[in-house]
Amino acid sequence: MTITIGLPSKGRMKDDASAIFARAGLVISAIGNERSYRGRVEGADDIEIAFLSASEISREIGNGTVDFGVTGEDLIREELADADRRMEISARLGFGHADVVVAVPDIWLDVESMADLGDVAADFRARHGRRLAIATKYWRLTQQHFSGSHGIQLYRIVESLGATEGAPAAGQADIIVDITSTGSTLVANHLKVLSDGVILKSEACLVRAKKPEHEGNATVARIVEAVRGAL
Amino acid sequence: MPLIDMPDFAPMLLEEFAARNTTRVDTPVIQPAEPFLDMAGEDLRRRIFLTENERGASLCLRPEFTIPVCLRHIETATGTPKRYAYLGQVFRQRREGANEFYQAGIEDLGDRDVASADARVVVDALSCLTKVLPNRGLAVTIGDQAVFEAVVAALGLPAGWQKRLVRAFGQTDLLEAMIARLARPQPVSGLSGEVEALLEAGDEAALVVHVEAQMERTGYLTNASRAPVEIVRRLKEKRLLAGASLEPAKLDALKEFLSLNVSLRYAPGVLADFARSAGLPLQAAIAGFDARVAAFANAGASLADITWRAAFGRPLDYYTGLVFEITARGDHDVLAGGGRYDRMLTLLGAKDHIPAVGFALWLDRIEKARETSR
Repeated sequence: MTITIGLPSKGRMKDDASAIFARAGLVISAIGNERSYRGRVEGADDIEIAFLSASEISREIGNGTVDFGVTGEDLIREELADADRRMEISARLGFGHADVVVAVPDIWLDVESMADLGDVAADFRARHGRRLAIATKYWRLTQQHFSGSHGIQLYRIVESLGATEGAPAAGQADIIVDITSTGSTLVANHLKVLSDGVILKSEACLVRAKKPEHEGNATVARIVEAVRGAL
Repeated sequence: MPLIDMPDFAPMLLEEFAARNTTRVDTPVIQPAEPFLDMAGEDLRRRIFLTENERGASLCLRPEFTIPVCLRHIETATGTPKRYAYLGQVFRQRREGANEFYQAGIEDLGDRDVASADARVVVDALSCLTKVLPNRGLAVTIGDQAVFEAVVAALGLPAGWQKRLVRAFGQTDLLEAMIARLARPQPVSGLSGEVEALLEAGDEAALVVHVEAQMERTGYLTNASRAPVEIVRRLKEKRLLAGASLEPAKLDALKEFLSLNVSLRYAPGVLADFARSAGLPLQAAIAGFDARVAAFANAGASLADITWRAAFGRPLDYYTGLVFEITARGDHDVLAGGGRYDRMLTLLGAKDHIPAVGFALWLDRIEKARETSR
């Protein structure tokens, strides 16, 4: 059985992932020219590399069309319903650190925690004739955090595919759920993270699609062991 | 096309509805999604079937009938009181059971006699179920948002804390976490010295000016979201909340109330005893509760089949009083669910306050129950 690994097709994620694989003794080369989207591991005919965009990797893990993937935990948990049933994090790779956080305008002096936000959300409709609006691209993580963990039901998500941190000042939404690595973008946009507003501490991970045929497969075990050993 | 998948007992329910002074309505299967998401919140999104039209408007397959029936009532402006009945398919993403199934029910709009309308709707649901499940004993559980609100108000907590507790009603974990927090006050921190001083001095106007100036300096619109005065007022309220804690006796009273779970035959006595022993002034809520119990008896309901569980509620802001569920005795499947939702019609855009109470029958579960009792 050939084992397919989905790797990021460009950018720092690609370089960092390749470096770890090389340290693990899995030297990756592209098939054909440098820009090819297929690759192989030198000396390992039973491993195939598919270069994909980070969000595609999450989806392909969910479909089981790749066996492993390197992608951010945020994207995996956002893309997959029941993520823990469908995938396993084989190794945390130590790069691509970023937190998915709930951030509100700095000037909301009275809001420090999710409980405060719950109070504000409950009264929002009566005061403003609409529900509290959250700009985010993380629908699932937002719902899990608000509805699941904090019992806040009354809000609406405004989809935001870029420059999310500008949405509150621009009046497109009241607060945001977004990813931040240093927090400097949030500060520059006069936003603050709530005390219990860190939804997920994400980093790049080697993720395995849970498939029955992986049970006892030597290649699968070898890949996991090699990558873990290289960290 | 004949609806061959409709449960064979559906005509019996329609007969029951017709005999109960209702107008049968149907609503389009494809509905605008906004009202559902607005009423029930974003969590609903993953449980319904959403689509878009070519102009980008969100549409969904009808996940239930109450909102469409109410919207239709507002549009057609035919006046109240009105009793609507419906029977049709609804569509939901469920972990168990089919994604499309039948619901039937009654929505009773505009009857100002709350106690008798409450009783009637429970008796209607019971009669419908008895008709299609003649050999099964039925068990009704009722809860009451209004009684819980009265207990919370009587404990003498600041308004902000009352709202928090009321909002958590029906969600056991959340409510317990809040009660635990009430046992120990939480200070407000993270304020600048300037804000701290203004707050200490109680100078609301100066605080508003401060917030306004800060918003302008940072490029925030003062009218797009929360206004400066709103932020300042809540900050002051939060100061009060932070200092608030419940003395142990009152905390125990709240916990004791939430543990009450008795047959409706004894419920008025138990509630009165509770109020007396806890020393809480609950006269108005008790009068409303007792009036409903009397209305149940008048409407011919067997009080022995009805249980009042004080902690039973639904965490949606349009429910205002009665909530109820009916199961077959000894079974968990909810065959009928309903309640009073006096706040919904104004939230949906009705100009006048329209009291409303209703129920929905789960035809797929009823069918299963019919098969097992055969």
